[in-house]
Amino acid sequence: MSMVPVAHATHWVTSVLYAAPVVVVVVGLWWSSRNAADADDQGGQA
Amino acid sequence: LSRAPRGAPSARRLIIASAAITGAAAVLPATAHAHGFVGRADLPIPDWLFVWAAAIVLVVSFVALGTLWRTPRYATPSFRRTSRVDRLVSARATEVTLGVVGTGLLALVLYAGFAGTEAPTDNLAPNLVFVLFWVGLVPVQLLLGDVFRALNPWRAVGRAAGWASRRAGIAVRHRPYPERLGYWPAALGIFAFAWLELVEPEGESPVKVATATVIYSLFTWAAMAVYGTERWSQRGEAFGVYFGLFARMSPWARHNGRLGLQPPLAGLASWPAGPGAVALLAVMIGTVSFDGLSAGKPFNQAISGVLDTLRGDAGLGAPQALQAVFAMTMVLVVAFAAGLYWVGVAGAGLDGEKSLGHLARTFAHSLVPIAFAYVAAHYVSLLVFQGQAAAYLISDPLGTGADLFGTAGASIDYAVMGAETLWYLQVGFVVLGHVAAVVLAHDKALVAFRTPRAAVRSQYPMLVVMIGFTTLALWLLAQAREG
Repeated sequence: MSMVPVAHATHWVTSVLYAAPVVVVVVGLWWSSRNAADADDQGGQA
Repeated sequence: LSRAPRGAPSARRLIIASAAITGAAAVLPATAHAHGFVGRADLPIPDWLFVWAAAIVLVVSFVALGTLWRTPRYATPSFRRTSRVDRLVSARATEVTLGVVGTGLLALVLYAGFAGTEAPTDNLAPNLVFVLFWVGLVPVQLLLGDVFRALNPWRAVGRAAGWASRRAGIAVRHRPYPERLGYWPAALGIFAFAWLELVEPEGESPVKVATATVIYSLFTWAAMAVYGTERWSQRGEAFGVYFGLFARMSPWARHNGRLGLQPPLAGLASWPAGPGAVALLAVMIGTVSFDGLSAGKPFNQAISGVLDTLRGDAGLGAPQALQAVFAMTMVLVVAFAAGLYWVGVAGAGLDGEKSLGHLARTFAHSLVPIAFAYVAAHYVSLLVFQGQAAAYLISDPLGTGADLFGTAGASIDYAVMGAETLWYLQVGFVVLGHVAAVVLAHDKALVAFRTPRAAVRSQYPMLVVMIGFTTLALWLLAQAREG
């Protein structure tokens, strides 16, 4: 039974590829927001 | 150091957006590819790569808008009056002629439905309703503006009745349209139509189509008698509202009663989205999504166990079990479409400056190009292929072997468009529709938020939602293609 996920890897790996753009964009926007907030913090302190 | 107040909501927005969207987008394809999914050999790249390309186009568009589109342009769009066309279109004779044509087509549906053969493919009524009307009018509205308003048989009969009652000296007083009803009647009407097409057993039966037309017509005219023809046409008459939304994407528009040209999509920015607007658009997107989902092998494999249970334990017949599963799924998919949008709205509203209800209505118009993309991409093949059937059905509308116009021997040319061309066309519709949605949401955010920077940040979750809708659309199309 433990072999099943490995044997079907090509199926679910392809499935993950469909959702990947959403994940990448979410991470990118989160990173961008965090950097912008840090920059705001530093600007406020200066 | 404590995080600046402006940054924290942005991160929370992203977390909220990602929680729902990535979960849904990941779960759906996972079931889709369980077994039996084989990539098409005639496409040079796999399907999922199209999703990547579409997402990149959306992100690039979003960045370009944030950089180059710094002031709202659709709030006061340019308008150029076209006097000659206006005179022709607005002429009394044109209005009456188009109203008579629309009413005649309604009568033709009823006649063919009740008097013709029961075979849906040999009877004009189902083709006229589900192909030429439901799908074929959409590109017409997009290119030429609200043609359906003039053709609308229910409005034409309502106006004729009003004219006749005035001539007879009968004073008719209409009740004010309850604002809380908003677009809910239209949403229910479109849902009922989708139910007939997708859930009702043998919903394409000519008699069922004609019977549904009679019921809808009587209800509509009764509502027009109570609330007034024009008011009900604008808010409650499902098809008037449905096609009117697509017409707002058109460059053709009326300002102060005058016909003219304005930038495409500008009409949507001024759409008065009231109660039920989001529900209406969720129904438009969700029902088409359900149609794509139910055509795919993964869905039919997934429901086989549920059908067995309903037939065995609940004692339902096979058609009833299938109808129950289809009905539940269609409701769930509509709810999912609405939920996806509310996630984006909730993210945009985390600053707490505006209520979620207000924001939901503010950005609701950006769902219209998405609804268009779903309809165009999903039904373009239906229009291209089944639309050709009109050539022989018009000569033999009842399926009795008649040849009224000498075209009864015509047939459908399935070679008119190849599978590859169709796929690229579908991807094009999906991408263009979602880019248009991003543009509309961005322009409205510039009006709704105090600074361009705040406007762009408010749209982070909406961008994720748009990419989520794009992923869903392309995945559904890929599933339906594999059948």
